[in-house]
Amino acid sequence: MKNKLDFIQNLDKDIKEAVTENFYNQDNELVLKINLKDLKKVCLYFFKDLKFYLLSAFAADESKNDGNKFKIRYIFSHSSIDLFIIIETETGGTFPSLSEEIPALNWYEREMKDLFGLIPEGHPDPRPLMLFPENYPQDIQNMHPLRKDYPFNFRPEFKKYGEYSYNKDVKGDGVFNILVGPVHAGIIEPGHFRFSMSGEPILQLEIRHFWKHRGIEKIAEGKTISETLSLAEKISGDHCVAHSLAFLTAAEKILNIKIPENALYIRTIYAELERLLCNINDFAWLFQDAGYSFGAQETFVLKEDIMELNKYLSGSRFNKDILSLGGINICGNIDNLRKNVLKEKLSNFKKRYLNLKKMLLNSSTIGERFEETGYINKETILDLCALGFAARASGVPSDTRKEHPYLIYDKLHFNSKVLKNRDVFARLLIRFYDIEESFSIITQCLNELPAEDINKAGREYADNNVNNTVDNISKNKSKNDRCIIAKDDKIDIAQQLPTNSLRSWALGYCESQRGNIMHFVELDEKSRISRWKIRDPSFHNWQLIEFAVIGDIIADFPLVNKSLNLSYAGNDL
Amino acid sequence: MFNIIKTRIKEGIKTKKINIEDIKKDNIVIFNEELKNKLLNKSKNKNFINNISVRVVDSGSCNACLHEMSALTNPYYDMERFGFKFVAAPKHADILMVAGCVTRNMYSALLKTYENIPYPKFVVAIGDCAMNGGVFKDSYATLGGIEDKLPVDILIKGCPPEPIDILAGLLLAFGKSAK
Repeated sequence: MKNKLDFIQNLDKDIKEAVTENFYNQDNELVLKINLKDLKKVCLYFFKDLKFYLLSAFAADESKNDGNKFKIRYIFSHSSIDLFIIIETETGGTFPSLSEEIPALNWYEREMKDLFGLIPEGHPDPRPLMLFPENYPQDIQNMHPLRKDYPFNFRPEFKKYGEYSYNKDVKGDGVFNILVGPVHAGIIEPGHFRFSMSGEPILQLEIRHFWKHRGIEKIAEGKTISETLSLAEKISGDHCVAHSLAFLTAAEKILNIKIPENALYIRTIYAELERLLCNINDFAWLFQDAGYSFGAQETFVLKEDIMELNKYLSGSRFNKDILSLGGINICGNIDNLRKNVLKEKLSNFKKRYLNLKKMLLNSSTIGERFEETGYINKETILDLCALGFAARASGVPSDTRKEHPYLIYDKLHFNSKVLKNRDVFARLLIRFYDIEESFSIITQCLNELPAEDINKAGREYADNNVNNTVDNISKNKSKNDRCIIAKDDKIDIAQQLPTNSLRSWALGYCESQRGNIMHFVELDEKSRISRWKIRDPSFHNWQLIEFAVIGDIIADFPLVNKSLNLSYAGNDL
Repeated sequence: MFNIIKTRIKEGIKTKKINIEDIKKDNIVIFNEELKNKLLNKSKNKNFINNISVRVVDSGSCNACLHEMSALTNPYYDMERFGFKFVAAPKHADILMVAGCVTRNMYSALLKTYENIPYPKFVVAIGDCAMNGGVFKDSYATLGGIEDKLPVDILIKGCPPEPIDILAGLLLAFGKSAK
């Protein structure tokens, strides 16, 4: 299984016969086309027999005049080989549900039902997912927004259409329900939780999400790459670098743009800064929720200092608007001056972080609350295909930086730690390792940062395709000190692209702080977005919480929730 | 812990100073200049103005605005020194802060929160999406922003707005003296 190229030869005979066509879309994207009737067999072969991981599943509307036609793609991957298996099949309206065998597909299939009107046959829980029965018409055949014939801005009348029903009720003497949300007590995003309790312990938790479903995938259709890039930053605000990186990786693959070495390093630095910021933020909230205000406020000060550093580097506290097609915007450049400031600040941060860590590990309060709370079993992780540190804290390796190296991660020295304790404390420890690795990675990048032009590739591309934008870039280059590019100066390479003869697609992926981010980007003949499937790690990991809290008391729920710290916005899209 | 306290005593936290005269007004729009009077009328007691409670509702933001709002409670910005505090229930609140566009699914929850705030109440829109929905305004899943749904008193622009701007906007609108 180690070799990418003869991978297909080593598959079972049965499976090989089921594959009608196979080809490599990109270096590490192997597409297997199969018939709908073989779908179950092939998917289960990869998931159960070869122990592959499900990374994404989605439909795309390929309808022509002669009736409905949809493509469904399932993306599998394995930690030991740098290869994505894309299982591709076509359907006219129904497909067999695999949720019973692959629980991770549960939400994906319900999503396809809502957005495309494809019926998963035999689905155990066919309730609507993001189109709430209260707010969206359920009886109208045409309420499937991602179909191409659905008008871009059509909104059905806003009124009450129906009632929501919970999945399963817990019944018995002394069982009661606690309903929380969608609007929470703190400054938290909206989500609804129903706890079924008997006495103190939680018997069952049902989460209801997608309150913030904004329809990002539909908005992007027909937009240019740079318009979509600004949308990618709004998927999940605290992960704006990771999402734009994943989107750009896909777009650059399709357009065959090679990024200059220097820009690769700078992208890595920003990605790691974001990971550092998010980890420190989680760290602070864990202190706060355990009632340890001193530690929490001290960590919030550290977080604020990192954000101020971000603002110094890029002009934005979240490092928004720094990536561009083929390189880095001038405002995100790391020159010698900023390099030194960054080094100096980081060593200061590291010292303070180590003090905080020591304090936390010596505190018995923290130990009492965190240890043996919120167990997530390895089987749950594998069934739900959980990603990132949540998987790594339960003994399952999951780190895209190691499995499918992108940017310059194959040249860097870092470990991706796996622990077996599976509780809240383990997830905190994993964060410690991650924070330390981030410090080390940024230092390595800064030491090896080549002095080169960050926008060379983008400019060469523009040179070949347009004439008038070259002036703009050289204009920007001259004012490089603390320069923030105004919107109109930005080059919109994608608008001037030569027209492709075919629709083409690619996968974009990266490891965010929460885990793998997977984007599927398909461009149409005019190089505009035709289908964009975003998958934030939260989409997989939210379902873990239902299992993690069982048997714990309700006061521990905030800890379990914060120990995973998932994005509602990235999940709801 | 000892180390941290020692450093704190040595360095102190540089809580940001705000002078009301120096506040940059580019990112702040105040629609209702009479806010201060409106608030004072709520109670004859003038001390009331030193205790303003804020309720936050996220109706469809990307969570960057939320990060910035929660930064207001950290030692750098410390909005409680001006008498603003975040509360857990709308019944306790004077101000409703809304971040993000209004999604179809969140619309009724947002209205319910607004209805439950006792009168007189104020609405603060945080960020570029809140007013008219920003990039999400035409989507099938949103209903635009809050401009035609709730009476907005203050708008803080930015994507996301910086904490200092949010704080400055509140101070400016409620006519507080900065300390």
